[in-house]
Amino acid sequence: MTNERKTIIVIVGALLSVVLQIVVAPAITLFSVQPNFMLAYALTVSIVCPHEAGPVLPFVLGLLYDLMGTGPVGAMALLFTLASFIASRVFIVVENDTLFMSLAILAGMLFGVEMCYGLILMLMQLPVSLADVFLYRALPCALYDCIVGLIIMVIMMHVLAGPKQDREMHISQL
Amino acid sequence: MALNFQQSGSVFVRRVLLIVFLVASLVMMLLYAREGESGVLHKAQAAFSGITAPLDYAGAVVSNATENAADGIENITASDETLSGLRDYNAELVEQYAKAEEYAQENERLRQLLDLKDTYHLEGVGARVIGRSSQAWSQTITLDKGEADGVDTGLTVMGTSGVVGQVISTTSHTSVVRLLTDPQSGAAAMIQSSRVEGIVRGSLEGLLYLEGLPIDAEINPGDIVLTSGLGGSYAKGLLIGTIVTIDERSGHATRRAVVSANSEAQALEEVLVVFSADSPMLQDKGDQDGDGADKALPNDSQNAENSSGDGTNSVENTEGTGEAV
Repeated sequence: MTNERKTIIVIVGALLSVVLQIVVAPAITLFSVQPNFMLAYALTVSIVCPHEAGPVLPFVLGLLYDLMGTGPVGAMALLFTLASFIASRVFIVVENDTLFMSLAILAGMLFGVEMCYGLILMLMQLPVSLADVFLYRALPCALYDCIVGLIIMVIMMHVLAGPKQDREMHISQL
Repeated sequence: MALNFQQSGSVFVRRVLLIVFLVASLVMMLLYAREGESGVLHKAQAAFSGITAPLDYAGAVVSNATENAADGIENITASDETLSGLRDYNAELVEQYAKAEEYAQENERLRQLLDLKDTYHLEGVGARVIGRSSQAWSQTITLDKGEADGVDTGLTVMGTSGVVGQVISTTSHTSVVRLLTDPQSGAAAMIQSSRVEGIVRGSLEGLLYLEGLPIDAEINPGDIVLTSGLGGSYAKGLLIGTIVTIDERSGHATRRAVVSANSEAQALEEVLVVFSADSPMLQDKGDQDGDGADKALPNDSQNAENSSGDGTNSVENTEGTGEAV
């Protein structure tokens, strides 16, 4: 698959994740918990294409997520960018391209981002306790994100990387 | 190209971009925390909600479709056992009934809003909920009325049984409302019978808390909680809910109580944006015998009247979006 075609697929996927976040996420709310399609997508791309994933895609998606909500602008942009970078580095270092390991990295990063976002909101004067952040948002949101991430990962692995992960160094894309 | 996705294969460029984005994110966060509601980033958020409003409409359609699908699955399960020969005819009837029921319920909600307006002597505009929060960390709804209809930030928003939130941003034809159940919300409130004041806040667990109550204050389950108007953030004397339980926390200088929320975000379809209110409930000082409860919950008695069947006589009213209110 050419780099241009991969880039187009990744951009189309990003647009789709934005639409899903606005249109579908509010409709599948469970006990005030919604999936974060955009975060799951950004992290999945960074894990499926660890050598090619750059910081542009997560930053743009994170910024759009911030603009869609009422939270501090820049918070999710920061966390998306940081988490995507860490996820791709961890995936390369671990050198284990099984689906289980990919999912483990994804789950860890999803929980980390949700928890850190809660901490940022607390720093920004959100009157909630750390236990509430963990119990009522970070943990259930991360679980919901994992389900979405699993679906996205299976699709992206087949579309971008083929049935077997490609660990060769390529030109940086996003 | 404004967004150069092709990064020339350079690891150096990627690292530089990473640092630039991280610094930019931090700067934006600090700027957002320091600027007021009229700041650049707050305005950008409001503008973006206007841009995504058409998608919010689509979201509302998807929500309805999700609910209908769930209902449909239930109906199919039931009809398999009992109506195998008349499935088509039954489906048609079910569809017609569902449509009629939808009109009747909408009619009922608009009627309740009208009653509420009369009870509280409210001046305002009715609005339809066209979108809900797409993020788990906030509880907001998007309305189909904006600056062009007189809606402005800070205005109180009421559902069919009382206050549900406050307008936090507007565009020309849409507005975003932060619900009381959002942890970031806070409404100055008081208990109607004892006039004890506190702050009603939302929480991540979805409950409403009345906080800052004195230890020795007389508070009982069932007491009515109203907006006090202190600070000017919410219109004065509007019903928030009733106290469900009192949370005795040892080691705290104040108590807090759980307040029954008026509506959940998923249940809200039409609301009233309040421009001004002249609530008679504030004149019921010292009313502790329960009369105030009847006055505070006008919809209960009204619902009983409507259950006699007159809720079906004005289907054409439902074509409006609450302008009649």
